[in-house]
Amino acid sequence: MIKVENLTKRFGRTLAIDNLSFEVKRGEIVGFLGPNGAGKTTTMRVLSCFLPATGGKVTIGGFDVFSDSLEVRRRIGYLPENVPLYMDMRVNEYLGFRAVLKGLFGKKKRQRVSEVIEACGLTDVENSIIGRLSKGYRQRLGLADSLVHEPELLILDEPTIGLDPNQIRHIRNLIKSLAHQHTVLLSSHILPEVEMICERVLIINKGRIVASDTPGNLVGLMSGNPRTITEVMGPSDKVLQSLEKIPGVVKVTFESCGEWSRYVCDCRKDMEIRSEIFKTVSANGWIMRELMTEKRNLEDVFVEVTMEEKES
Amino acid sequence: MRNFFAIWRRELAACFLSPIAYVTMVFFLIASGSTFLVGAVKNVGNNVFLTSLLFAAIVMWLTILISIVSMRLFTEEIRAGTIEVLMTAPVTETEVVLGKYAGAVTFVLFVVAPAVGNIYLLAAMSPAVGPVDTGAVVGGCLIIFMVTSFCMSMGLLVSLLTRNQIAAAISCLCLIWLTLFLGNIVAAFPFMSPKLVAYLSVLSHVDDFSRGSIDTRPLVLYLSGTVFMIFTAVRVLESRRWK
Repeated sequence: MIKVENLTKRFGRTLAIDNLSFEVKRGEIVGFLGPNGAGKTTTMRVLSCFLPATGGKVTIGGFDVFSDSLEVRRRIGYLPENVPLYMDMRVNEYLGFRAVLKGLFGKKKRQRVSEVIEACGLTDVENSIIGRLSKGYRQRLGLADSLVHEPELLILDEPTIGLDPNQIRHIRNLIKSLAHQHTVLLSSHILPEVEMICERVLIINKGRIVASDTPGNLVGLMSGNPRTITEVMGPSDKVLQSLEKIPGVVKVTFESCGEWSRYVCDCRKDMEIRSEIFKTVSANGWIMRELMTEKRNLEDVFVEVTMEEKES
Repeated sequence: MRNFFAIWRRELAACFLSPIAYVTMVFFLIASGSTFLVGAVKNVGNNVFLTSLLFAAIVMWLTILISIVSMRLFTEEIRAGTIEVLMTAPVTETEVVLGKYAGAVTFVLFVVAPAVGNIYLLAAMSPAVGPVDTGAVVGGCLIIFMVTSFCMSMGLLVSLLTRNQIAAAISCLCLIWLTLFLGNIVAAFPFMSPKLVAYLSVLSHVDDFSRGSIDTRPLVLYLSGTVFMIFTAVRVLESRRWK
């Protein structure tokens, strides 16, 4: 659906996007991540034909964003970062106006407008003036606008920013329900959300792709040892020694909190050591109250790949 | 075509929904009405065309009205960021420019129309005025329409080239006044042919038309000027896609 080859964008002397290449297949939901200023919004603007690229080639559904801009724009629904809207219009009026611009008219237009009003939870404010709506409603109105013409590709720049947890859940379910009929490219800073919605994640930093895979695989590929944490009551030096003897354990650190001590065991990848720890502790007659493997998530991956870049 | 009408309607609605519209509407009517009245009172007993006085008063205040209406056409969209949603919708630059232009011109004509009624009001109130010359009123309306079309196209281009509304309004006002006095400026150079001076004198066109003498040459001038300005505006907007 999206094919980006060697995309480069300069603003004067600053290089915003540096030789970016990626592909998004039809029906995929792809999360687009990166620190602030990494080039996410710029990339999305190039994809939505708002900004021209300095170099490279971008095609959407087989159409070039530069030479077939109109065809591309017919196929995309774009939600810009701060959701710019005409503050003086009413909600249904605005959606009607946008629907006409996107090629809908007559019965079809009315039907689609009422459908998106319902899907995005705007029924209560249908006749309100946009300037008087809360941030959450404006965000949903922007999303409704991007959906109104049933585009093949949705480009959403931070769709859940400024929403409360219930609204976020609502929007998340809405985006999930769109999957498979639509292709979705969304950027977000809320990583657990991306982990939940997206089948694939692209992480960019300083205008370059630094990671691209499913969230699960990315976590698996992380460098550094997985950790197992346990809390044990017993003589700390002896516990420490016996824990270090367990095969697979690389290093043990501990901190004491009263009579209980917390042991953090760095262990080798693909080694399951929890049962061994339990056996050791119970064989020595110590008492254990916690035993867990530290779950690593997308946030750790994000920090790792974007920090690495900074250091190098 | 549907896009053009949608944008035209949206622009017209935006004009009527903004508070500036009503303020300018009221002040325009007061200012042009009182200028006309002062002119008429001063010329009591003289042999002057009341229609000339009327349309001169309208053109004078029209310049300010057009600057204020045109300043927000694109600067407002850029400031609010709505240009991003507008230009990422499947609309062509020509549709956007023409739609906005037509909306603004319609609004101005809507504001100006009641001011033309002043002369009928005066004729009804004072029997000394006599019957109103309809031909002269039609000529006056025609030249007002042409001047509005041309000045608005200039204002549109200015608002596309500036980022600040006040800057747009001031530059537009300066350009419009330069246009109005273009004939006088050209006349200051002795080597310019009088024919050229007459061709470029907007104020004398207004005077001629509002006496009922309709000439096609100025119409061609304003029409071609408008087309040129709009064409340039479309190109400027398009250049954002490749610049």
